Amino acid sequence: MSQPGSYTSSKVYRPEMSATWWLKSRSYFLFMMRELSSVFIALFVLVYLYEFFQLSRGPEAYANLRDSLSRPGAVALYGVAFVFAVYHTVTWFQAASRIQVVRLGAWTMPGWMMLAGALGAWVVISAAVAAYFLGA
Amino acid sequence: MSDAKITLSVTRYNPEADEKPSTQDYQIPYREDWVLLDALNHIKDEVDESLSYRWSCRMGVCGSCGMMVNGEPKLTCATFLRDYYPDPVRVEPLANFGIIRDLVIDMDDFMDKLKAVKPWIVREEEKPVSDGEYLQSPAELKEFKQFSMCINCMLCYSACPVYGREQEFIGPAALALGHRYNLDSRDQGNDERAEVVASSQGIWECTFVGECSEVCPKDVDPAAAIQRTKVAATQHWFKSILMPFGGK
Repeated sequence: MSQPGSYTSSKVYRPEMSATWWLKSRSYFLFMMRELSSVFIALFVLVYLYEFFQLSRGPEAYANLRDSLSRPGAVALYGVAFVFAVYHTVTWFQAASRIQVVRLGAWTMPGWMMLAGALGAWVVISAAVAAYFLGA
Repeated sequence: MSDAKITLSVTRYNPEADEKPSTQDYQIPYREDWVLLDALNHIKDEVDESLSYRWSCRMGVCGSCGMMVNGEPKLTCATFLRDYYPDPVRVEPLANFGIIRDLVIDMDDFMDKLKAVKPWIVREEEKPVSDGEYLQSPAELKEFKQFSMCINCMLCYSACPVYGREQEFIGPAALALGHRYNLDSRDQGNDERAEVVASSQGIWECTFVGECSEVCPKDVDPAAAIQRTKVAATQHWFKSILMPFGGK
């Protein structure tokens, strides 16, 4: 597609991108952490599904699994997964507030207002769910 | 006038003589009101006339003088030395592009991609001139104005790791301009552009790193434009399979 006389075929130096490009700036690193967060969330979901499987096999199998999950390694995994889940959720709401345009008549809702509303609703609903289950 | 000096570490590459680029240091006078482009012009005029780089307007409009400054893509006409002084400043050609000479990059790939998204008003049928202009209300203009501010400086391509890894990616500026014309009430070229914009080298390559918007000197926000195009393309696809006659 290049035009005649272009530089494409002459001796153009083409630098290679390093495999560690994502360590070169804070924003690239945070992006990679956002991507990595989905791995830990997937691990959490797999363990959660396995809990249902063990539950279907009877009280003893389920109690054994619960015992395993209370060991330090499993608790650490849950801790890391929780941190990544919170990070993923916050960045997801930040992304959504940039993508979605909300209009009421001629007025366009600013992104910060959408973000504040989404984060506020998330905190309130999470607290209500936690209160329901932990209080029960 | 003070005797203060500042060091610029500038990438040099001569395709006739060099296998790969190298770095050359220039110690030049420091002036508080100089932008980096002034410093490069001083080198060119007073120190080393062989230094090659692009520039034109010197006022952040033409988009010619984009370079990597200490590893960040910036317009050198809008980057003040005082923000770096007394530390040395590293000046390199825009990342993710081939280097033709010194700080001059190969723009051909970008120009091809820009043309591919048809960044102009496409009409199914032009009305006769006697019928007058295609009128547009201020509200309709507001829909796309932000995305029309692009000056094709390519800083966004330089900040985009997806483009760095996958050179087939159409890239932020071209996709943002495609979105700008799709939003234009006078345009009817959405389907034509979709062949490129919604292809596997288009919007779906973007992983929303978001750096393109961070470095944009005109606040175009190409990252948001690409994600909004994804939403529009998805809605269009669902309509085409769920609605009678493809929703038309």
